Amino acid sequence: MSFVNPLAPRRALPEKTRQIKEWTRALRGLDDQVVVAVSEIACRDEGCPDVETVIGIMRPGEKIETIRVHKPIAEVEQSDIR
Amino acid sequence: MNNISVFLLTGFLGAGKSTLLNRLLSDPDFADTAVVINEFGDIAIDHDLVHVGKTQVARTTTGCMCCTAGSDIRTTLYELHTLAEAGETVFKRVIVETTGLADPAPLINDLIPGGSPAIGLRDHIVARNFELAGVVTLVDIETGTAALQNHFEATKQIAFADRLLLTKTDLVNGAELNSAVERLKAGLLPVNPSAPILDSSAAGFVPADLFRQRAYMPASLGDDVIGWLALEAAIRSEVPAAHGNTDAVQGVDRHAGRIRTFTLTREQPVEPETFRKFMGLLSDSAGPRLLRAKGIVNLAEDCARPAVVHAVQHMVYPLRTLDAWPDEDHRTRLVFITDGIDPEPVRQLFEAALDNRPSYIYRRFTEFGAQLKSLLHSAVTQPRRGAPR
Repeated sequence: MSFVNPLAPRRALPEKTRQIKEWTRALRGLDDQVVVAVSEIACRDEGCPDVETVIGIMRPGEKIETIRVHKPIAEVEQSDIR
Repeated sequence: MNNISVFLLTGFLGAGKSTLLNRLLSDPDFADTAVVINEFGDIAIDHDLVHVGKTQVARTTTGCMCCTAGSDIRTTLYELHTLAEAGETVFKRVIVETTGLADPAPLINDLIPGGSPAIGLRDHIVARNFELAGVVTLVDIETGTAALQNHFEATKQIAFADRLLLTKTDLVNGAELNSAVERLKAGLLPVNPSAPILDSSAAGFVPADLFRQRAYMPASLGDDVIGWLALEAAIRSEVPAAHGNTDAVQGVDRHAGRIRTFTLTREQPVEPETFRKFMGLLSDSAGPRLLRAKGIVNLAEDCARPAVVHAVQHMVYPLRTLDAWPDEDHRTRLVFITDGIDPEPVRQLFEAALDNRPSYIYRRFTEFGAQLKSLLHSAVTQPRRGAPR
């Protein structure tokens, strides 16, 4: 029997952040030496989304690569990460 | 000369930062503390609610420090340094109380060696004279889990802490306290496995211990923290190019546009019962989208002694009476921070409730409820753990 918890969190951000990191690592074939960071910021410019997710890929000795997904973290899907 | 220790005091909206600061500043050992209070919103209220002794220096800044790449924190510290150099104040440490929505990463980058580059004499003087000694993050036992799950700022505040403090544990029924603490800790540990977790109502807890001299070491807090600091620097440098903006000093807005702050004021004293009714109606309608409300109320029953009101999401706390007004402004002043709520219906409900117009209140309440219905249907229905009192 399934039980729907009415207190269940709405956005589950810690879990979703971990998932986005896993998707990024798998997509780019990143090893443990590479740090992946995920952050969420708002954008004030017209035409930009209200909130965007920024993924940082930090390879030792290299400039940080960023991937911007124009969605909040909670709504990012695997196919958004390119 | 030793550098002055700077501590960040952070925690999500309503976690009890000002309460802790009041406890701390009543300790004579902390008389030599400079306090910087940063508030989200245009009208500062917290400075009225924090009792700063005569020997302490306080600065209040509005607008979120973490959103200003112009480095408000460095400017404020430079001003404090200038005052000390002129002999106008003496302090041994600085405590910066952030807004409840602050992202600590940019503030920390501004205060650690190897963080944001120093630009100009001001930044170099700050770097030579101040050092980040600790980040203390407060977590409300009632709303902490929801904040962690639903607001990214709360996640980062917890991750960057070198001390975590559980607050409002005295409000939890004794029999339920242990299980509530364990549940919350289980959510905190994956985000921050390093920081000691303390209980603000435990026997022997001394607030001053949170702000003892130490070295803040982000590297000891794990890859997430290191990654966020590096990503923060990268985002800052990318902002002009990514947005076609050539103004390199423009800040990064870290809070979604749905987060609104607005203020309600009223000249005439208000009846206590109608005010409680207004807060109850608002809390019932807005629920978790009322992120925070706080303010000073001029109650008709005793105009010489104002009351302080606090609400956090679905919790409206009992009014607390002050001995006197903190300044010459005797108006009722309420600051709201909301998630997706238009200020105008709240303003109308406020006026209608305090003018005691029942039919108008009902109409405004109905309109307000209808507006919120579409916002709330997707949200989890949170039980009301504390009725408005």
